Amino acid sequence: MQFLKLSAKAVFLFLLFAFPLFAQTHPSDEDIHKIVERIDELYRANSSYSVMEMDIVTPHWERTLKMKIWTEGKKKTFIRITEPAKEQGVGTLRIGNEMWNYLPKTNKVIKVPPSMMMSSWMGSDFNNDDLVKEFTMVDDYTYQLITPPNPGPGLLYIRFIPKEGLPIVWGKIIISARAEDYIPVQENYYDDKGKLMRVMNFKDIKVFDGRKIPSVLELIPQTEEGHKTVLRYIEAKFNLDIGNDVFTLRHLRASD
Amino acid sequence: MMLKIAFRNIFRQKRRTILTALTMFGGFTLATFSIGWSDGTYNFIINMFTRNQLGHIQIHAKGYLDRPSIYKTINDYRLVGRQLDSLRQVEAWAPRLYSAGLVSVGDKSAGAQIIGIDPEREAATVNFNKKIVQGTYFQEAPAHEAIVGKGLATLLKASPGDTIVVVSQAADGSIANDLYTIIGISESGDDISDRMSFYLNLEDAQDLLALPGKVHEIAVVAYKLNEVPALTREIIKKLDNPNLEVDPWQDFAKSFYQAMKADQQGMWIMLFVIILIVAVGVLNTVLMSVLERRREYGLLKAMGTKPRQIFALVIYEVNILAIASIIIGAGLGSLINYIFSRQGITLPQAFTYGGIEFTKMFTEVTAQSLYIPAITVILAATFISIFPALRAARIEPAKSMRMH
Amino acid sequence: MWIFIKLAWRNIFRNKRRTVIAGTAIGIGLASLIFVDALVIGMEQNMVKSATASYLGEGQIHRKGYRQTQEVELTVNKLDTVAAELKNSDIVQHFTLRAMSFAMITSPANVNSINLVGINPGTEKYLSQIDEAITQGTYFTGDDPRDIVIGSKLAEILEAGVGDRVVVTVAQAGSGELSQEMFRISGIFHFNIKEMDRGMAFVRLPKIQEMLALGNNVHEIALKFKDIKYGREKSLPFWSKFSRFGNEAVGWPVILPQLDAAFKLSEFSILLTGLILFGVVALGIVNTLFMSIHERMFEFGVLRAVGTRPLNVAALIIFEAGALAVISIFIGDIIGFVVTYITSVIGIDYTGIEFVGVTFRELLYPVLKWDQFILYPISVFLFTLVVGIYPAAYAAKMNPANAMRKSI
Repeated sequence: MQFLKLSAKAVFLFLLFAFPLFAQTHPSDEDIHKIVERIDELYRANSSYSVMEMDIVTPHWERTLKMKIWTEGKKKTFIRITEPAKEQGVGTLRIGNEMWNYLPKTNKVIKVPPSMMMSSWMGSDFNNDDLVKEFTMVDDYTYQLITPPNPGPGLLYIRFIPKEGLPIVWGKIIISARAEDYIPVQENYYDDKGKLMRVMNFKDIKVFDGRKIPSVLELIPQTEEGHKTVLRYIEAKFNLDIGNDVFTLRHLRASD
Repeated sequence: MMLKIAFRNIFRQKRRTILTALTMFGGFTLATFSIGWSDGTYNFIINMFTRNQLGHIQIHAKGYLDRPSIYKTINDYRLVGRQLDSLRQVEAWAPRLYSAGLVSVGDKSAGAQIIGIDPEREAATVNFNKKIVQGTYFQEAPAHEAIVGKGLATLLKASPGDTIVVVSQAADGSIANDLYTIIGISESGDDISDRMSFYLNLEDAQDLLALPGKVHEIAVVAYKLNEVPALTREIIKKLDNPNLEVDPWQDFAKSFYQAMKADQQGMWIMLFVIILIVAVGVLNTVLMSVLERRREYGLLKAMGTKPRQIFALVIYEVNILAIASIIIGAGLGSLINYIFSRQGITLPQAFTYGGIEFTKMFTEVTAQSLYIPAITVILAATFISIFPALRAARIEPAKSMRMH
Repeated sequence: MWIFIKLAWRNIFRNKRRTVIAGTAIGIGLASLIFVDALVIGMEQNMVKSATASYLGEGQIHRKGYRQTQEVELTVNKLDTVAAELKNSDIVQHFTLRAMSFAMITSPANVNSINLVGINPGTEKYLSQIDEAITQGTYFTGDDPRDIVIGSKLAEILEAGVGDRVVVTVAQAGSGELSQEMFRISGIFHFNIKEMDRGMAFVRLPKIQEMLALGNNVHEIALKFKDIKYGREKSLPFWSKFSRFGNEAVGWPVILPQLDAAFKLSEFSILLTGLILFGVVALGIVNTLFMSIHERMFEFGVLRAVGTRPLNVAALIIFEAGALAVISIFIGDIIGFVVTYITSVIGIDYTGIEFVGVTFRELLYPVLKWDQFILYPISVFLFTLVVGIYPAAYAAKMNPANAMRKSI
């Protein structure tokens, strides 16, 4: 609470200097810019390694996958499933537009045609777009600080509207972040008519490799009853030297 | 009394009788044949279409047809099957399991529709075994065999003997994946479905998709196409399961149904014209024969016969002829329709569709092919004879006899 | 000879009632032949239309192999040459270019796979009925490159309406690189064909060419002939002419074998029904003629009795049959023309069922052709003469006294 108050006050003061007229309710453009950049870069790194658990809940089944993920730049991703036993060793390698799946049961590597890369990932509510974020909030949206009818204490609310013409389905996104460190708490996705379509909750802030991030991401589609996907970081390293062997078909085939 | 005279008249005036009866009888027989033929054609085309893949009736879980989903399953298809087997109109039924997936041969892969089928039932219901253009058909027992559509085989550069990998999502959310051996390539006559279709033995597919004992669709074929609507109702009653939907082909193949309906309506216009000509022929004959016999009626009148009796005489005569024509015509028409329903009429050009060669078309022996022409002939004869009969009844004896 | 023709003509008018009845009977037969011929042409055109007019076209040109695999890379070879030749072709009325690809369409609510088709709205409307099938919004008015027209069922799945934002993802030709674009739904069509209403979306051609990195290339040329019958003519030089450069030109029967099969059966059935009609009409003519001649055997007996030679009596009867035929043809042509013309203008509403969609909502229009008024009358005339031979021979051979006695 203390932190919240302090930082809110700091923002307040800062704004007072910058834009005396509007300062009473809004931080500066520059300031919002910083907040947005912070959100953008929360999980982003030149390279990363993480161990994650993913809970997928649908009206028909619930399951938890455990996996190791390596990323390098925007182009390269390697995912290896370690649990449950049935899927242990299943791997996905993506380099740019090419994607392969390795299936230990059949001991085959299958090249996934681009048309199949767009559907939901492993039956989760995430689609490819969510996993490989092509867009940044800073460059691809116009944004503005807003005050919702019932603001939560210590929270900042930013409304993002996609720049015209970009391939983004949302009409707007409202992100609430902690005023003290700009760590997001919730992202609400709306369609063009202002209907809430999905909610992403950020929970359980932990420090991994010196970086403070919410370790649990909870995605709840609003239009489909009973669906939910939860991502849990168990372990994460950022900007590490991954080496050349990881993003190879040979690695994909070697079910480690 | 008048009936007796009418009979006597008919037998005495053989030439007139034969001419009049010939029109009625000939018209009736031809009308019967053309309706039987039209019904036969209609059934033939629908069967060619529905027996190729769809079946006459389909059973699904509620909502499956509208928005297909792997979870909308028929849970106890064997029970449904037993209930279907207990209905005498059901010729065959075939269970099917559907899912979308990724299939891959060598370094080629493509999206496909996974279709799990019961080989024996699928063959009995829609002749799937005849659609294999390369390789062989499934064995009865599941043996990790696969049949791919022709377009899909081209896309994957696959041929019988190749190993094919399938990836999909199973109903429990897990990654469904397995290896199969391609044993055959099928061609259904529909490019779009041949580009997507990947067939597995039902049990293999149930295994792959973690849907043990479940199916998405049951296709039913009836012995007789015209029993389909009644059979549909009967199946609904028999299954008595609000979670299942039973639809006749008219519903799930709507655009085809409408095309057929349009086509059949066109045929009915032609039949109407034929019937009209028959009616005109009957009219013409009766009118002429009454007109030509005015002298005769005048004579009867002069002898003291009452107008009402003369009226009755004319009507009797015409109707006796009409009924006799119909009886003989019905016999001959049905015989012709029966012969052609067995022997068929050879098409000028045989053709192959969905693996089946069509060389002949068949007529159908139906009730409507008899009663429609019968009603037409009777109505035309009675209606037509009323005016001449009235005229004959009102005839002035002296005048009419003078005329000749 | 002339005297017999005159006599026959006079005889015909002597008993007006009989002539009118017989003439009308035969005339109605003739009229129905004319009408059914026109009806059959109309039915066939309707069937071809129902198969081709909603989207397919009467013929299509692709790169060889495209129809089987639909690979994005397989574009029509030498498009400029082909297009120029199509423009100059005498038998092609319209053609339109299309590029298409498997695509994913995403709305805030859902994702669905579709067949995305790029079209030239201007020429497309001659080939397909998308413009007529629009139930909400409009068909590419204005020139916003972000217009997308989608099917009604797809709109339902995407939970999106006119003006809403959707994102379409395709894989580019060659590289396979994913390409995404935002569109706004500008129109929603309803064909009442599940596959189209659920799985198709249309955008402007340049846009999809850009998305797929096709340059100016296209996958499909759909065309419409000046005469609807060309689509089914396998021997048409057109097919081989446009199957050069590694392309393949095919008519709709090749694309829709199931409809072609139904069409062939139906055609055969119609032919046979037409023959039956001929039979019924012929029966009517035989009957009418026999009736009108046999009832006058007394008269012919008198003629014989007064010394007319048998051959002359026979000629008289045949000429009478001819005269009756002429009158019948006059009546029949008028009835046939009036009935056929009226129905060909207003159409026959033979559907009788509710039609929301476009494909089969057309009425049946019989098609008038001049040869119907020449061919059928001539056949009726000749047939009547031939039928007249039997009573003529009978009358010529009969014993006058007998004939006169019998008729009383």
